[in-house]
Parts: sequence; C-alpha cells; structure tokens
Amino acid sequence: MSQSQINNLDEKRDFEVNSSNLKHVRSFCREVFEKLNINQELKDELVLAIAEAAQNIVKHAYKNEETEDKMEIKISVSDGYLEIGFFDKGRPVEKDKIRHRKIDDIKPGGLGTFFIQQIMDAVVFKEGEKPWINHLILSKNLNS
Amino acid sequence: MSYKVTEEGNISTVYLDGEIDMDVTEKAKEVIMPLIEAKKEVHLNLKEVQYMDSSGISVLIESHQKATELGTKVILKEISKSVLKVIMMAKLEQILNLD
Repeated sequence: MSQSQINNLDEKRDFEVNSSNLKHVRSFCREVFEKLNINQELKDELVLAIAEAAQNIVKHAYKNEETEDKMEIKISVSDGYLEIGFFDKGRPVEKDKIRHRKIDDIKPGGLGTFFIQQIMDAVVFKEGEKPWINHLILSKNLNS
Repeated sequence: MSYKVTEEGNISTVYLDGEIDMDVTEKAKEVIMPLIEAKKEVHLNLKEVQYMDSSGISVLIESHQKATELGTKVILKEISKSVLKVIMMAKLEQILNLD
C-alpha cells in the first residue's frame, strides 16, 4: 500500500510552548498529512487550523510568558475521520469568553478562532485529565 | 522570514520571503511601519510568502489602516496562492488593496 492510501493513523508530539516552536508544529502536521490521501488544499487548511490552535495556547493559555511547559498535539485518523487533540498545562480556558471577532469588524486580531471554525467541523474544549489542564479537540470528516 | 526593501521615488517595495506567523510579526512591522510613517506608498510583494496565519493577516490590516490614517496606501503585489486563500478566508479581498 502506498503512503497516500493510509487512512488510519495515530501520531503525537510534544512542543515547547513558545512562538518560535510554531514552525515545528507546522512541520509535524505537514509530515503527518503527507501520509493521508487528501488534497494539498485541504492539507494546507488543516495545517493552518492546527497552527492557529497552537498559537492560541501560546497567546492565551500562557499569555506569551516564558515557560518550560510543553504542549502535546495528537493527530488521529480513523476510517477517514480526523481528530486533533491539543493538551496544555496553561491557564484554564474560559469557554464562554472564546469567540472570534465579527468578520465585518475590520481590525487586527481575533481571526485565528474564526479560521479554525471555518476549516474544522467541530471544536470542543474539555477539562484536561491530569497532568493536563486544557484539552481541545478539533475534528473533521475527511470523507465528506 | 527574510525581506528586501527597494525604493523608487515615493514608493517603497518590501519583498517578504518565507513563512509569516506570530513569531515574525514584530519583525515584519518593524520593517513596514516606519515606511508608512514616512508617508511612503508601500508595496508588499508576497510572491515568496508560502504561509501566512492570522498574525500575518493582522500585520496587513494594521499596515492598511495606518496608511489610510496617514493619507498613503499599502498595495499587496504578486500575492502567492496560499496567502490569497487566507486573505479571502478572512473576507479581506475587498478591504485591502490587492494588485
């Protein structure tokens, strides 16, 4: 079976929580998505969604503060259903306060969450199981 | 991200190269904003930008708004396919000056 025919996988990696590691997050995602039978446009969108979610951990859960903590990103595909898990030990996410800015209110900032919602089918915040504080799950049906 | 700036009359062209994310937005602003503040017409050449996220889009919005406030303009040139897609996803194609 060629790599492009793989439709089930489970891969995870830890990343230091800082903005200079976002490029490594993207590299990891690109490496994983190369194994999937999906088009390049969708791969690029998924990389963007994941990078935006990782950026939100740096910006909001850690307020850009220096930390030795790591976040974990887990990408799973089962029967064409993609699930991406983000685990961090930052400040607990206040779910009620998460919203993207109104798209016609043109100002810098607030677009990351909008992009994630545009790209993914579902975005779910959960309380993390120890040692994690936050657990974010992004999912998408790759068959549709 | 790397960059190069060329000058021709009152037009400054900034050639950006690489991936523009949260890690490099300050650097991008340090290059672009002084040109706008000097009331130059700024052309941002995005041909070699392979990736841009919401932080990069924020730099484009901020630059556009600052230029408008100072009576000059920022024009986006040779926008790569991947950057154009993100601009359109943000519904900014009618707001920013695209060439």
